[in-house]
Amino acid sequence: MDYDALVVGSGIGGMETAIKLGDMGYRVLVVEKEPSVGGRMVLLSKVFPTLDCASCIATPKMAATVHHPNVTVVTDSEVTAVARTGDGGFRVRVHTRPRYVDPAACTGCRKCEEACTVAVPDEWNGEMVSRRAAYIAYPQAIPQKALIERPGTSPCTDACPAGIKAHGYVSLVRSGRYEEAFRLILDATPLVGTLGAACYAPCESACTRGELEGPVAIRRLKRFVAERHYAGPDGPGVTPPVPNGKRVAVVGSGPAGLTAAWQLARAGYAVHVFEAGPDAGGFLRQAIPAYRLPAEVLDRDLANLAAVGVTISTDSPVGDPAALRADGYDAVLVATGTPRSRRLGIPGEERAGVATGLAFLRDVRAGRAPDLAGRHVVVVGGGNVAVDAARTAARLGAREVTVAYRRSRGEMPAHPAEVDDALAEGVRILFQVAPVDVTGQEGSAGTAGLRCSRMALGEPDGSGRLIPIPVEGSEFDIPCDLVIAAVGLAPADELAASLPVHPDGTAAVDPRTLQGPQGWLFVAGDAVTGPSDIAHAVGQGRRAAHAIDCWLQGREPDAFAPLDDRLPAVDRTSVLARQRTYAARPRQLPPAALRDEPRDFSRVEPSIGEQEAREAAGRCLDCGVCSECGECLAACPADAIDLAMRGEDRSLDVGAVVVATGYRLFPADLKPQYGYGRFPNVITAMQMERLLAPTRPYTSVLRPSDGRIPLRVAYVMCTGSRDESVGNPLCSKFCCMYSLKQNELLMGVLRFAELTVHYIDIRAVGKGYDEFFEQAKGMGVTFVKGRVAAIRETPEGNLVLRYEDVDRGVVGEADYDLVVLAVGVLPNHDLDRLLSEAGIAFDDFAYIAEADEDYSPAATTIPGIFVAGAVSGPRDIPESIVHAGAAALQVAAHLERRSVPA
Amino acid sequence: MSATRSPEGSGTNEPRLAVYVCQCGGNIGDYIDTQHVIDVVRDLPGVQVARDAMFTCSDSNQQEMIDDIARESLDGFVVACCSPKLHTFTFRGVAERAGVNPYRVTQVNLREQCSWTHTDDPAGATRKAIRLVTAGVARACHGTALEPVQVSTTPCVAVIGGGVAGMRAAIGLADVGLDVCLVELEAELGGWTGRFGELFPRGVSGRALVRRMRQEIASRPGIEVLTGARVVGKSGTYGNYRVTIAIGDATTERTVGQIVVATGFDAYEPVAGEFGYGSPGVVTLPEFRRLLDETDGPIVHDGRTVRSIAYIYCVGSRTDGHAYCSRYCCSAAAQASLLVADRDPDLQQYHLYRDLRTYGRNEVLFGESRRRGSYYLRFADDDPPQVSVDGEGVSITVHDLLTAGAELTVAADLLVLVTGMVPRPEDDLIAALKLPVGRDGFLNEIHPKLRPVETVVDGVLIAGACQAPKTVAESVASGMAAAAQAAAVLKRGVASLDPQVAIVHDAACDGCGECVAACPFGAIALAGSDGHAVATISASGCKGCGACTPVCPIGAIDLQGYTDEQVRAMIVGLLDGGVR
Repeated sequence: MDYDALVVGSGIGGMETAIKLGDMGYRVLVVEKEPSVGGRMVLLSKVFPTLDCASCIATPKMAATVHHPNVTVVTDSEVTAVARTGDGGFRVRVHTRPRYVDPAACTGCRKCEEACTVAVPDEWNGEMVSRRAAYIAYPQAIPQKALIERPGTSPCTDACPAGIKAHGYVSLVRSGRYEEAFRLILDATPLVGTLGAACYAPCESACTRGELEGPVAIRRLKRFVAERHYAGPDGPGVTPPVPNGKRVAVVGSGPAGLTAAWQLARAGYAVHVFEAGPDAGGFLRQAIPAYRLPAEVLDRDLANLAAVGVTISTDSPVGDPAALRADGYDAVLVATGTPRSRRLGIPGEERAGVATGLAFLRDVRAGRAPDLAGRHVVVVGGGNVAVDAARTAARLGAREVTVAYRRSRGEMPAHPAEVDDALAEGVRILFQVAPVDVTGQEGSAGTAGLRCSRMALGEPDGSGRLIPIPVEGSEFDIPCDLVIAAVGLAPADELAASLPVHPDGTAAVDPRTLQGPQGWLFVAGDAVTGPSDIAHAVGQGRRAAHAIDCWLQGREPDAFAPLDDRLPAVDRTSVLARQRTYAARPRQLPPAALRDEPRDFSRVEPSIGEQEAREAAGRCLDCGVCSECGECLAACPADAIDLAMRGEDRSLDVGAVVVATGYRLFPADLKPQYGYGRFPNVITAMQMERLLAPTRPYTSVLRPSDGRIPLRVAYVMCTGSRDESVGNPLCSKFCCMYSLKQNELLMGVLRFAELTVHYIDIRAVGKGYDEFFEQAKGMGVTFVKGRVAAIRETPEGNLVLRYEDVDRGVVGEADYDLVVLAVGVLPNHDLDRLLSEAGIAFDDFAYIAEADEDYSPAATTIPGIFVAGAVSGPRDIPESIVHAGAAALQVAAHLERRSVPA
Repeated sequence: MSATRSPEGSGTNEPRLAVYVCQCGGNIGDYIDTQHVIDVVRDLPGVQVARDAMFTCSDSNQQEMIDDIARESLDGFVVACCSPKLHTFTFRGVAERAGVNPYRVTQVNLREQCSWTHTDDPAGATRKAIRLVTAGVARACHGTALEPVQVSTTPCVAVIGGGVAGMRAAIGLADVGLDVCLVELEAELGGWTGRFGELFPRGVSGRALVRRMRQEIASRPGIEVLTGARVVGKSGTYGNYRVTIAIGDATTERTVGQIVVATGFDAYEPVAGEFGYGSPGVVTLPEFRRLLDETDGPIVHDGRTVRSIAYIYCVGSRTDGHAYCSRYCCSAAAQASLLVADRDPDLQQYHLYRDLRTYGRNEVLFGESRRRGSYYLRFADDDPPQVSVDGEGVSITVHDLLTAGAELTVAADLLVLVTGMVPRPEDDLIAALKLPVGRDGFLNEIHPKLRPVETVVDGVLIAGACQAPKTVAESVASGMAAAAQAAAVLKRGVASLDPQVAIVHDAACDGCGECVAACPFGAIALAGSDGHAVATISASGCKGCGACTPVCPIGAIDLQGYTDEQVRAMIVGLLDGGVR
């Protein structure tokens, strides 16, 4: 048996049970779901009726629990299964969530917290102030070690095919750390400016804010940090690493090849890039029009490579990679993309007035633009190349530009924003139209027009898109001077000479390692994936560099963490559910300058300034909480942070189980007439506890809306208790007392405040409690018997209570600065499913039943499973401690019975 | 124990010390400038480390202390924080984990004795704090390592009182392998609970519950039951107390490791004339319950069928002389009205109350009682109902706050005074065990949250309604909690006793015997031969109270941990602190 007893929950009940059992000599495992032991008591201000400092009582219990020689505590953990073993014991499963901080190394210095760029509401302070994603729960938390809240990967980061931490640089920009943001992107790729200009930004499509007024302008933030960095005098600011003596050749200088070269060079490899064309950059240089990606942006990015020693030869086509291997390169990466254009496969395609999209764009970028003034151009295809070609043709003066696409708009592979922009620039798009024949001019090789057929859409094909079928007799002619065929791209033919290829010409390599059968040969980018986009190619380049490094260093190729080992993305619905309301913030960024019939290649999208960038980044909802910006990693002096940590599950045999998971506070917004959540100055008593606690967020008690010191404070008792309308007929037992206590404390803090308690019955039933009630009355607290019917807010943020004064027999209204709801308690359902499966019974009020409470308090309906504290009904602290003592004795008796063979 | 020592100077060892000043969140830090205190005491002799902390008791600060001790090879430390009542064991534990003798820790009370008492004068509080800490450092400078006295304990518990709390404690103790001597004053086990039928909130019969407990006790050979018995004396030492029990004229002794006191309560007995008590038709709640439990069918009192009942709440509770709330009575009266309604649904019932305290689940009883026709009327604290009794029945006049203070007169065949619990007059037992009694007359625990079943007398625990009014289920739970505490000590088999006890310098003692008379624990005896008798002090019997040291005319007794030398040094420290 692993432990004599498992105690679930380390509030005051759980700790007391564990200590008592440990004292008796039993080995105890305490499982706590929060990052600290201690439960709620340690967060309270003082405790009734002695007015002891709560944390002064709870803290030593916490320390005694974790230091007890017979007690083992695991935090951040939950029990996920409980099964009886037949010998009176139980087999349990415990899941431990990762803290992403090695507790052995962490010194609790909180440097990570200072560095963290994400602020979220601090649940340990009633969500009245914020805390960081990297944090220590509260000053007395045990263990006093940091953790990082990471419920999952943010949707933007998850969507990035390049594995760039989109949320990370957004949160860095929000914090004004622009250079750090640049560096975070630079860590993935040298093409920071390029991506900022021309990435199709799948991150923005995934952005949760898109469900509100529109996504965060993530790509433009990237462009902002790139421009800001490049405006400065420094290069990339990366010190070239110590050479490791190995050489790698990269064939092709597109985004995949350049990214791989960057990563390998920084790892110490001597990298040489061979580019077939006259300039480095591949498609970035040749295919993407300058109004999207100006040459100088790419040039700045290329300078990053030079800074780490990457050399590039242009006009250097490589026929056979084996020759490079023979030249002494330890590995060769082929990243030659998809330079081959697919053919239309219709008559007349060979005519002079027909060009491929790629050749057309390449000629334009190379300064060999045809004169299209007054001409009519038809572009065939629906991809990004087609749209780029159409918009380029328009800029060259074409009178009319028509795009013919054989499916409908929804199926168009081009990025929707590009399509929108093209339409705005006057490009005409014909949907469900396919070319049939290029018609010629009489007696000339030139083109007179394009005969097309209308298409109907049939069954879906393998990709889910509907198959277009020509409509018989629907043919028509489009007169035109130039036909641009942009119907697909394919890898270079030479690829097949070096390694096996798929029917579409792409390299047949292991998609994880990208390694060819030779070992030394790797392929990356569109040559593997087929035509994609810059971000995918960057991801391929990173993956290839990782695989090459593994191979050359003799390591087994492991998963490439930025792409293969991300946490599952957080669910956008759950992100939006964190808050009840969101203010729609109209977008402030300058829009793209689109005009009908553009005639030059200037950038259509303006830069944004610092103010706009901060404002844009400020919209981020921090979906995954931790943004993975990496600031904590840099700040931690103990190297304790490890974002690769993952949760673990353990199965354990225990002799008995004690459920001490405590209560659930009544959610005050379930009484909408009291306005909690809508009126900022209506708070719960738990929030008041924090305002009064020794570790309080402010120096005084301030009301939330305007930080004013309240002078008239009202308490509304029985919020969520003794109330059939919310399904809780029970009295919560301790709300009267904590409210009396808070009133006595407020008398000291707010010396001039008028304090009023609206109550039904003051239930001061315990040792010294009624005396405490008399004391509060004596201090001048006003007690009004009667329920509060409703609360409304005045324009100044004050609150008008409509209440009954039973003793005077009147209904009245009164104005207060601050209203405190004395919320009651409800059963905690954390373990309900688990315990129901184990066969445990619940009582009429959904608390775990203590069926034989008069004789066997703390015993449940299952022998060997016990309860301690408020989990089986409302109990105050002394009652919970006594109950925990009873539970400990029951556990001991159970264990003694088990140890005697029947 | 102590590690390195600096070279001796002028005959005194100067130990290497750390000083920690706690802010206690804002409890101390809001009033005392802890940084200033640190700045002043940093230069005191022996002080190697001085720092303040938000919570010195927090785990992280404890770890820092341990690190300091290792790095600076410290011999001990002074921690200026709250009362030693709260954290003595916490900081001794720190010392132990750091490998330093736990008795080289000095705790200075800056909270209860300084910041909380001088909230109006932060500057003065800071000056006083400097003096207090200086005195603490002085004491620590003259401290020595002490080793706890280890005693093996007797695996047997005396449980005094055979009500439900005591009986259930006895059963629980037997179940974990400890012997029990259960001492009951009456001829039979059972106490109050055994006299009643159906109990709230679960409807369990008190008589059946007691019957069940008696059977469980009878089936456990480890439980010895002494009825008609009372504990009249206690001697011996912690872990091995000898308890003297009188049974009739005879006395007997048992050696026990722990003692659980569960002597219960008395029902409040109204004085004659109080709300008509003593007149026909006026009964207390326990009397009424007897009437209900011992009869069937229509409710008959004094030969008349009762058609209406009035209840007056808070009789003997929340009043002068009994300021406390008796907790159980509201629920008990509400439940009684349900029992009445079961038997005679047409019977009129009027409840005259102040605050209806059917707390927690008992709220259901209140709701049910109203649903079944009981009327509830509320009177003001200072305006109790007036009762007059004539041959026709009882007439009660009340200003009902629930009907805007209207004066109503209720005519009832029977008036039930909802009486509370009062402490039992256990003066002899209290004297024999030196039990602490609270202002309300009930027995007192050390701390309601930290140590709710323990008393200031080590090894003497309390359970049930002798501590405060409790229901049956609450009493049973507290009996088990006391049993758990006793088991936590006795299952280990050995106990460590505080070595801060008095010692006699034999050579100096002239055997005058003053100290023998002064010792409240009987721990000192004169012993010796060849004509020179000297005082000897039992280390396990001495409680370190210090009563003997000042009475010794020649100063031959020292209290370890508070030696004359230490106390003198503290006085100097108090006078000089911050002034030097």
